[in-house]
Amino acid sequence: MNAMKKVLVSLLSLLCCSLQIIAQQRTITGTVTNSQDGSPVAAASVTAIGEKASVITGSDGSFSLNVSPNAKQLQVSYIGLETLTVDISSTSVVTISLAPASGSLQDVVVVGYSTQKRTTITGAVSSVNMKDLDQRRVADVAQSLQGQVAGVQVSQSTGAPGDQINIRIRGEGTIGNNSPLFIIDGIPSRDISFLSPADIQSMTVLKDASAASIYGSRASAGVIVITTKSGRKGKTNVDINYFNGIQKVTNLPKMLNASQYMSKVEEAWKNSGYTGTNPYTSDKGRSDLANTDWLNELFEPGHSQNLQVTASGGTDKVQYLLSAGYYKQDGIVIYNNDGYERFNFRTNINASITDRLTIGTNLQFSSAEQDKLSSKGDAPGVIRHALIRPPIIPVYKNTSDPTYSERDPFTDLPFYKKPWDNSKNIYEFSSNPVALAHFTNDKRSNLKTFGNIYAEYAFLRNKELRFKTNLGVDLNLTHNKAFNPNFGDDDGGGSGVDRGLGRKNRPNGLDENRGQETTITWNNTLNYSKSFNKHVISALAGSEFITNRSSSIGASRQRFEFTQENFQYIDFGGTANLYNGGSAAEWALFSLFGSATYMYDTKYMVTANFRGDASSRFAQNNQWGYFPSVSVGWKIYNEKFMQDISWLSDLKFRASTGKLGNQEIDNYAFLTLLRKSGDQFLISRYGNPDLKWESTTQHNVGLDIGVLRNKVYLSVDYFEKKTSDILLPISLPSLVGNVSPTIINAGEVTNKGIEIALNLSNNNRLFNYSVNANVATVINRVQNLHPNLPSIIGDVSKTEVGHPLNSYFGYVMEGIYQNRAEITRHLSGTTNPPNKPGDIRFKDINGDGMINDKDRDYIGNSIPKLSYGLNLSGGYKGFDLSVLFQGVDGVNRYNGAKQITDYDSRPFNHSERVLNSWNGEGSSNSIPRATFNDNGSSKRSSIFVEDASYLRLKNLEIGYSLNSFSAIPKLGIQNIRLYVSAQNLFTSTNYTGLDPESTDIVDQGTYPQSQAFLFGINVKL
Amino acid sequence: MKSAYKVLAVVLILSGLSCKKELYKDPIGLLTPDQINTDPTLNTVRSSVTSSYQMLANTLNLLGEWRWDLGIVFRNDIILQDMASDDVKKKWNPDGDQAWMDDVSTFNFTSSNQAFNGQWSYDYEGISRSNLAISYLTDPAITSKIGIDDALKNRLLAEVYFLRAFYYFDLVNNFGDVALLTKPLQSFADAYSAAKRESKDKVWAQISADLALAKPLLPNTRYSDNTEKWRVSKGAVVAMQAKVALYNQKWQEVVTAVTELEGLGFALNANYFDNFSVTKEFNENEVIFAYDHKTGMTPRNGNGLSAPLDWGFIAPTTSFLNEFEPNDPRLSYTVDVSKKAVYKLLGATNIVYKGNDDAPGNKLYIRMADALLWKAEAYNEIGNFPLAIALINKVRERARTGITIDSSMVPAGTLPDRNVGSTDKAQIKSWLMHERRVELGFESQRFNDLKRWKIAKEVLMAVGKNFKDFNYYYPIPQGEIDKSGGTISQNTGY
Repeated sequence: MNAMKKVLVSLLSLLCCSLQIIAQQRTITGTVTNSQDGSPVAAASVTAIGEKASVITGSDGSFSLNVSPNAKQLQVSYIGLETLTVDISSTSVVTISLAPASGSLQDVVVVGYSTQKRTTITGAVSSVNMKDLDQRRVADVAQSLQGQVAGVQVSQSTGAPGDQINIRIRGEGTIGNNSPLFIIDGIPSRDISFLSPADIQSMTVLKDASAASIYGSRASAGVIVITTKSGRKGKTNVDINYFNGIQKVTNLPKMLNASQYMSKVEEAWKNSGYTGTNPYTSDKGRSDLANTDWLNELFEPGHSQNLQVTASGGTDKVQYLLSAGYYKQDGIVIYNNDGYERFNFRTNINASITDRLTIGTNLQFSSAEQDKLSSKGDAPGVIRHALIRPPIIPVYKNTSDPTYSERDPFTDLPFYKKPWDNSKNIYEFSSNPVALAHFTNDKRSNLKTFGNIYAEYAFLRNKELRFKTNLGVDLNLTHNKAFNPNFGDDDGGGSGVDRGLGRKNRPNGLDENRGQETTITWNNTLNYSKSFNKHVISALAGSEFITNRSSSIGASRQRFEFTQENFQYIDFGGTANLYNGGSAAEWALFSLFGSATYMYDTKYMVTANFRGDASSRFAQNNQWGYFPSVSVGWKIYNEKFMQDISWLSDLKFRASTGKLGNQEIDNYAFLTLLRKSGDQFLISRYGNPDLKWESTTQHNVGLDIGVLRNKVYLSVDYFEKKTSDILLPISLPSLVGNVSPTIINAGEVTNKGIEIALNLSNNNRLFNYSVNANVATVINRVQNLHPNLPSIIGDVSKTEVGHPLNSYFGYVMEGIYQNRAEITRHLSGTTNPPNKPGDIRFKDINGDGMINDKDRDYIGNSIPKLSYGLNLSGGYKGFDLSVLFQGVDGVNRYNGAKQITDYDSRPFNHSERVLNSWNGEGSSNSIPRATFNDNGSSKRSSIFVEDASYLRLKNLEIGYSLNSFSAIPKLGIQNIRLYVSAQNLFTSTNYTGLDPESTDIVDQGTYPQSQAFLFGINVKL
Repeated sequence: MKSAYKVLAVVLILSGLSCKKELYKDPIGLLTPDQINTDPTLNTVRSSVTSSYQMLANTLNLLGEWRWDLGIVFRNDIILQDMASDDVKKKWNPDGDQAWMDDVSTFNFTSSNQAFNGQWSYDYEGISRSNLAISYLTDPAITSKIGIDDALKNRLLAEVYFLRAFYYFDLVNNFGDVALLTKPLQSFADAYSAAKRESKDKVWAQISADLALAKPLLPNTRYSDNTEKWRVSKGAVVAMQAKVALYNQKWQEVVTAVTELEGLGFALNANYFDNFSVTKEFNENEVIFAYDHKTGMTPRNGNGLSAPLDWGFIAPTTSFLNEFEPNDPRLSYTVDVSKKAVYKLLGATNIVYKGNDDAPGNKLYIRMADALLWKAEAYNEIGNFPLAIALINKVRERARTGITIDSSMVPAGTLPDRNVGSTDKAQIKSWLMHERRVELGFESQRFNDLKRWKIAKEVLMAVGKNFKDFNYYYPIPQGEIDKSGGTISQNTGY
């Protein structure tokens, strides 16, 4: 936290420097209009760049300004509109049209099925500042949201290219699915990984019930409304953006080298009470010991590049935008088997057929392919094996080794000799992570068509009533293909024809499956708006129908005689043990909804929403769920008594309450179902015919304060969210057999929190800057579970009433046993305790002199209590700078990798920390003895639970625009901007695992996020 | 023009409403029990019987993928019967891997230990499958619809009656009073009404009733089906009846039943290891009931225990190794300490299958030597000492006269006959105890024997275990008590 403060202070002081401007002679006249409706913009600020001269436009938008003869550019700015720079080197009369700026007060915010002016919004709605987001240079829109919006927490559980990114809005509301709903051009989706960040015009986060309840049944985890860019009438714009960058791994733990490792295992053997000669002592003298730094061998610099070309423009009648993008990344693990590649093409067209009828389409086609590397976990766990593999084993076999082959030059079993006898092996027979990375061949591709076509017709004399029909399609074709070649040493296993093969992927095999999923969405809305005197009324009514059908087919074969890529097709596999399978599922949702807003005198506003949803996921008697909400706003600033406070520019109080739903469960969960296993039909799950919606009630109060013409803008929200009738999978007693849990409605979880967003901006000067800071807290509590499910017990976690979801639960480490007497005293109730001095001493919570399951307690919190982000950006002349800090606080992580790197009792490699392990009375009270016996490290305990709070400099970008050079406009180029960008430049954390951003309950050693350096160019024609 | 749009708008809204019918479509890609019950096939009924066997298998991950945390990676007999006894330890070298097994072994466990959950889950899944098969085979509507012939129907029914009895036998021994389910559930709410423990006597009565129902339905032949020899035979039912009698000290019944078994053609093999050898499966005289593992099947049906055996799991204790008399050839067949290989479980006297998680070796449940020693025990208890000693000597004789692992002759004087003239009941019993331990080591008999003989505490305390009187029954899995909402009670002491 301290580091953040320092950076903040120094940046702010930098921004506050003032500048000298020199005055000259020459008159420029012109008008400033709003590009949206062509209306004149009064009180806009017009400044000649590089000069003192500055003027404010009149009520008709006109201005006249004296400048020096060599003045080349004017900068025009107005609150709520984009600042624009125009060329005056060859003209003295200009017409300036300003486009609305995103994220500001006058902005029109896209909310449910309609738009609303920011100033009149009564719910908790956050617009994402697209300018900040633009500079994130990441592949995934979700990733770019990190640190941008108060109460929106984005985390990546691994850093592998193309891996999934989690978004949580206002905490974890339920035990099941907590992902928000995305609405892209009016079409709902659960995924946004296919979108190119460059195609997005605006993003609005609907956080509270009043904002989101128009999306009813699927909105309980919040809604993010995304609108893609569209063309504007006028000159054709072409925007070309290219960047190229490298990534490198950071923050690796220091592992033991070969001689440290040998001493460690030698010591462990000695401490294990074995008799005879220590085999490691004699092995220390071996001549074939390597000294391999496995982490260093595994990671290499990664590489990414991105090209995006967008052309847009249009006439009064037709506007268009065409874009094409290409993104490619090769990750930081050696060999190119951890990559991600995406093409996307977009066509957005709007056409006015008559002055009442508009039609349009927003259509995207994308193709993405991920080279899937096992990025976390145990099997095969490329990263994990790099941590545990003894350094004494070389990466490659000696070419003179009889088991060496060019195809598989890698070492596998330690000091392998044929025939292998594992009982004589004294080293950990981990996998060779470099070999795992080399032989990984798992491609997951997705072809997607996503988009909509719509028609909108305006009725009544003043076009007050508009009817819109919008038809969306989401078509996904997935294809996963993994060829698992045989490799590794022959350990004598395998049966029949597989005898004699290497132990990995024995026999070789190909798994291939294809899936198809189609979602059709059709919504029809009627929108009415009317203002008369001091009254403003708007109303919305609509229906929506969504149907989804998915099917998949897969096959696998083994024992391919030819393994070259051109034979990696099912036909070429052996016919023994072949497998094929296929399945299908469908669901549908039908909804009716309405919304009404009334505003009086721009002071008092009230909005009411209502939605009814019927879902095929519930039995007929429980299909309908109803989701009402209401919100009120009081624009205090517009009251007469506020008029005297000149420094205040906005003050609004908001309050809302409402109900949201969740239906994210398996299809047909209300039915008892059978599964087929071989020839047998087995009960897979007993259905619950009474299953119904999970519902979330949310209350929100908020205050918006604008100061100094809204240059400083603060929003504060407090929310309480209560999720009840949680869709809870409840395991039946095992005495009914092995069945999947039945889903019931039970349990209640609350989330409470405060969100603060602060914006500072100054666009009026040559030296412009903005600060966007946000911070959010959330307190999560389980209020209620089912009587038959008093707690949900995970491997290291427990969910129980009175505690946050998935709290860490285990033994509490007290120290290290220093001597035998201490053990006897502490374990007075245990017969012949097997513990030895140097073992971990756990707290005997129930005081019975035994350490067992009854001595476990809550040992940490897996959900961050505080998350924050800080965006700073500034520009001076052609230079611009943007900085993003992001972090979380009040969170723990179970560092499962530490269990193996520090305390494991197998002959794994260990981190340098074990050099300080207990070695005689008084030597350590924190790190147990090195031993092959159980020193207590096998128990799930607080020793592995670490503070995973972090502060990260996520992004730093410096750009330079060449448009002040006169050559640029002459070439017909609007601007050329060059930039360098750095990601994850700096991290402050006490977490000792590979990445504090890992969100897995147990961090078993994930593919870490990398440090990236990018260079890019942006050309606007 | 304008009115045309108005009409169109209304039409669109109304057609939107008509989409509602999509909500009531029948599920696709799934089967409900109704569909099977209303339209059964011979194959679904036959396979329901086959699937009832599966929970006796050593195949890995039958109930999940690597769920060590639930104790269901493999069937836990080896943990609950062998590691808990004084015969077997978790690993050749002690370490912190799967420490819950150590907790069972040292009797430092609590009711949350997954070993109990695992065994309970396997047994009740077996019962659930058996109940489903029984419900098909006893429903005249179904049997007539599929046109099954009586001989086949009777045989299949007998198989599942036996299996249900077998699973309950395991439960009642491990846990005492247990929930007694004899019908498939109709809905998930039934799960809670069924979740209550019945007295041991009721469970034993159910076991006896099922076995009594099974016995007359099976042919009087060595195998009930000559192509699928792994199926439950009359011999298996009679042997189980003998075992039930033994565990309830009904000595005369034990004698009668084992005698009947001998009449069905079961006898000791000439060579001890023929019981375990993959090459001799269903081609020997002694095995009465075993699970037939096959390699390379889809879905898998191999013996997966060879994988943990390769990871260093399942090793003999010193006490077990010391129990063998000098030159007893059974020791080398059971375990090779230098090679860290448990041959009995690997199905071969070499390590070809070690590490193969899809090995062909069968899992042995009942064999004739075991049954003969029951009979010996029964004779001893009813005072017929000469016959008791004769049976013990019969087992010893086979051990010393068969070929040894290295095909050598056993030295003269090895495993001498016990004194046939002895009338010292305690001495004969100690001979019997010794003989059972060395003959049946690693076959998941030892802990039950110690409990039956009421010497578990004395024997296990002597090897440093924390055994207490209440450990005669294992705890009901804590999760099961929680999941029932407390209608299932815990055993005393836990």
